[in-house]
Amino acid sequence: MRSEWLQCTILRAASILVPSDQRAEWLHGWQSELWYITRRGATLFCLGAFRDALWLRRNSVSPVKRSRIRLESPLNCLAFLTTGAAMSVFIALRLPTPHLTPPLHLRAGDLTADYIATLMLSFAYLLALRMAIGRAAANPQPVSWRGRLRLWIFLGLKIALVQPIMFCGLAVMLVIGPVVPVAPHLGVVAIWFLTLRWIFTDQQRRCPLCLRLAIDPVRIGTPSQTFLGWYGSESMCPRGHGLLHVSEMSASYSENPHWLYLDNSWRSLFVGSAGRRQS
Amino acid sequence: MVDGQRLTHTTAMILQAIGAGYIYGYTVMEVTGLPSGTVYPALRRLDRDQLIRSQWEHQSIADEALRPARKYYKLTRSGQAALDASRKRYPLLAKLTPIEEVEDA
Repeated sequence: MRSEWLQCTILRAASILVPSDQRAEWLHGWQSELWYITRRGATLFCLGAFRDALWLRRNSVSPVKRSRIRLESPLNCLAFLTTGAAMSVFIALRLPTPHLTPPLHLRAGDLTADYIATLMLSFAYLLALRMAIGRAAANPQPVSWRGRLRLWIFLGLKIALVQPIMFCGLAVMLVIGPVVPVAPHLGVVAIWFLTLRWIFTDQQRRCPLCLRLAIDPVRIGTPSQTFLGWYGSESMCPRGHGLLHVSEMSASYSENPHWLYLDNSWRSLFVGSAGRRQS
Repeated sequence: MVDGQRLTHTTAMILQAIGAGYIYGYTVMEVTGLPSGTVYPALRRLDRDQLIRSQWEHQSIADEALRPARKYYKLTRSGQAALDASRKRYPLLAKLTPIEEVEDA
């Protein structure tokens, strides 16, 4: 095998994306192929490994490892965000303000105005995102107004609780700004969009009735013979309220994620699995 | 059964390359001119869809040749059928000549 560190580093970095049970064989395969590649094209060749690794990650049939942080329940999710927010405020208050000599620490009062500003921006961004995506298809079983209110309250709380986390990220970026000049701008934008995107997708993947995260996704449809992959995935509400269909090929399957509500006759199938999950 | 009409040109080109005797990833890349990020996921997908079958070379053979073991690919019966259907749809695939003809030239 070649000993060029750059190619090896690229392959090792890409291998992180590969499911752990297939990683060793995947890396072995790519390293074997690399042996045949001329020095000139080796780096370009190795960059293709990322696409292969991503494909493997997306199409792996091996069971997905459960995260140690369980955010399925809405209360767990809010508790997690509250802890993150509290830690973020603590860190932000301890950071020195940049560009000031002698460096001062931020005060709690300074944070309020920034908090309100970022909160307004977040709501505006999510509203714009919702409008850009468009309305979901008419629901054959509309959620009651109480259910809708609960959904909106949950969304509002999530948006409110991520603000300190985003602000802490911003403060960290400003502190490291003089050291790495471009990083703060990129970092702030990345933190901002990734966090809000997470809020949006998390909300879409929650059962409208019990606010629990849909679990156990399975691929649906026949694998396409084009390069576009699977049609979509189907997850289920742990309480058996319904099935969430998320499109991977919006042009041929469905534009937006949608719920297929299950009536009470299905409930007995889910009682056991919900119990096992809670234990 | 795979519907050959639905194979993309790139997929058909990779199948044609394997059918023509370019039976491991690097040679498929070379003969089709496609980048590694396209060829290797495509090979995996074709393998998953049972249009091709992959097999690692015996380590002893690779050791004798002082090189790493290769992963070889072979068309399955349904892969051959899909390729035959694709040749009708993409007549230019015939330009990708079998490996014996390349060696004879």
